[in-house]
Amino acid sequence: MAKLGVTLAGLELRNPILSASGTFGHGLEMQHFAPPGLLGGLVSKTVTLAPRPGNPNPRICETEAGLLNSIGLENRGIDYYLREIAPTLRAAECVIVTNIGGERVEDFAELAARLDAESAVDALEVNLSCPNVQGGKLPFATDPKTAEAVLRGVRAATRKPLFAKLSPNVTDIGEIARAVEAGGADAVTAVNTLLGMAVDWRSGKPGINTVMGGYSGVAVKPVALRCAWQCVKAVSIPVIGCGGVGKAEDVLEFLAVGCRAVQVGTSCFSDPSHIARLPAEIDALLEAAGFHELAARIGILQAGGGAPSCKPGVAVKA
Amino acid sequence: MPAPPPDARSFLSEVVSVTPCGADGVLLALRPERALGAVRASRFFMLRREDGLSPAIPRPFSIYRQSGDSIEFLLKVMGRGTRALAACSPGQKVRTIGPLGNGWPALDGDGPPWVMLAGGVGVAPFHMAIEQALAGMDGRAPARPEQLFFLFGAANAGMLYDLAAFERLPARVFTATVDGSHGARGNVLELLSDLQRRGVIPQRVRLAACGPERMLEAVQHFADERGLECWLSLESLMGCGVGICNACPVPTKPDGPRGSWPNVKCCVEGPVFKSDEIALHA
Ligand SMILES: Cc1cc2nc3c(=O)[nH]c(=O)nc-3n(C[C@H](O)[C@H](O)[C@H](O)COP(=O)(O)OP(=O)(O)OC[C@H]3O[C@@H](n4cnc5c(N)ncnc54)[C@H](O)[C@@H]3O)c2cc1C
Ligand SMILES: Cc1cc2nc3c(=O)[nH]c(=O)nc-3n(C[C@H](O)[C@H](O)[C@H](O)COP(=O)(O)O)c2cc1C
Ligand code: FES
Repeated sequence: MAKLGVTLAGLELRNPILSASGTFGHGLEMQHFAPPGLLGGLVSKTVTLAPRPGNPNPRICETEAGLLNSIGLENRGIDYYLREIAPTLRAAECVIVTNIGGERVEDFAELAARLDAESAVDALEVNLSCPNVQGGKLPFATDPKTAEAVLRGVRAATRKPLFAKLSPNVTDIGEIARAVEAGGADAVTAVNTLLGMAVDWRSGKPGINTVMGGYSGVAVKPVALRCAWQCVKAVSIPVIGCGGVGKAEDVLEFLAVGCRAVQVGTSCFSDPSHIARLPAEIDALLEAAGFHELAARIGILQAGGGAPSCKPGVAVKA
Repeated sequence: MPAPPPDARSFLSEVVSVTPCGADGVLLALRPERALGAVRASRFFMLRREDGLSPAIPRPFSIYRQSGDSIEFLLKVMGRGTRALAACSPGQKVRTIGPLGNGWPALDGDGPPWVMLAGGVGVAPFHMAIEQALAGMDGRAPARPEQLFFLFGAANAGMLYDLAAFERLPARVFTATVDGSHGARGNVLELLSDLQRRGVIPQRVRLAACGPERMLEAVQHFADERGLECWLSLESLMGCGVGICNACPVPTKPDGPRGSWPNVKCCVEGPVFKSDEIALHA
């Protein structure tokens, strides 16, 4: 057995596998498919202050190599989450991360303040890809100043570790990563979905109701890997890779470029129990290659010149 | 949050056989790697090949028949997902996630007769429905054969999938095709109205329907106008089938029995809904 444990923003994870927000439910819905005790952590679907009914159909459209979605952040709001879901997570045997989203800078701080006292929640992930209503509907993650302001507000409202989830739809993701680090983030999650669209050329109908939506799945892995690496180079806080992770090899690739952990999203739809088998598959790969400690595989990328600045994490017992 | 049913699992099944069925369908028989209990009619499974030929997103299919240790599906070839499954060879492995969803309510013999309305491949959840209704469901009185009317409609005779299997069941079977190539000319609701007009089927009936959304909208309207109890099995677009992607919302009737949230998840709260709970054309 290779040691698979990693530390991340002060949290000890038995392995580097977390679910990605919006692809594994809000709470423990999936425990019969993937027991939390086999995972590093669970990230909730985005929770917002007010309930959001979500977008009309069709909300997804599968394309040649990936998935487009425009769910519209459907969720029942923070009151419901704190009342009905959080209490069920208190006994969960893995790290619990609540992903929060808002339309105004203050929304995030208010959500963080509401969650601060909830013992079930080990960390918050700030979804900066939500449209910024104040600033003209562009996501918070596209402007370093507002991204930093959001993190500052959240930092002031809670002592819980903060992950800042970034968007790949920017010119220089490293700049945004530096901004959220300055704002007080303890880790960066890279990345959310790519902006994409699909159309039926016969009918002219778009693949999803909002025309443009979030693109994810195997097709986005090289883009996500590049973004994650740019973040690794830009900041000294740990980076969590996300985008197109489906196989054990994918996990080790994200770690190779310097990520401390990864999130598994769209591939959960292909087989919702696979995420729980991933740690054993990673172990088998490492052992077969003669490696006994996963943490030692972090940041091994040979990038001639631009050496990753992220130090390998300290291993803990799995 | 609605969770997948407690008996649902993700496992591999071995392909037993793939048999052509009708103009563009196949019967796909699978042997799950672990034994399944008896599955209620109109529950479903997500299926996907893992050899790279299926798309990443698995596709939902109603269980068609269950016998011994194998389960059978009736697939109409539509696009990439169904094409890949229809091209399976015996011995291959298929990712199987289920059993999912709720299934039909108890199709009992204690009230008005049941009229089952199938449109095209919407026939899939009815074979076991008829068998289970006759055997008795949930400890309720079994339906008698004369209480079960099965009305099967399709565009043409080639899409009356596996009709012979239904004709062997002890229920009253009628067909309608839009092109008139089999049974009455027209759709399944016109057939129902005609049979009621002729006194073959009484006015007070209970309805269970599965088919294209336009057909289900018409059935809902028909039931509303006459105040009939009506159950619809929906074939919504799905991503995960287990409640984690939010891709399958079905709008609910405002202030209806499903509560105040404006939609329900077809996969974990359906796919069978009482007609007065949902707003299909919202
Ligand atoms: C609960 C449930 C049970 C089902 N049971 C069966 C069954 O027993 N047998 C069966 O053959 N099919 C069944 N379906 C429908 C089946 O899932 C779809 O036909 C299938 O997903 C199509 O996949 P594809 O990749 O072949 O087509 P795609 O490439 O995804 O689509 C091809 C074309 O089919 C259309 N299409 C795709 N999905 C649907 C859908 N759900 N309804 C109507 N049109 C669609 C698309 O708009 C497109 O025009 C069921 C669906 C649900 C939700
Ligand atoms: C259906 C769906 C819903 C999603 N919902 C959210 C969400 O609510 N909040 C969020 O931060 N990311 C959301 N995401 C983005 C994923 O968490 C992830 O960042 C992205 O899909 C890339 O990873 P993947 O390729 O492994 O899916 C969603 C993705 C999908 C496919
Ligand atoms: S299909 Fe994913 S939530 Fe219903």
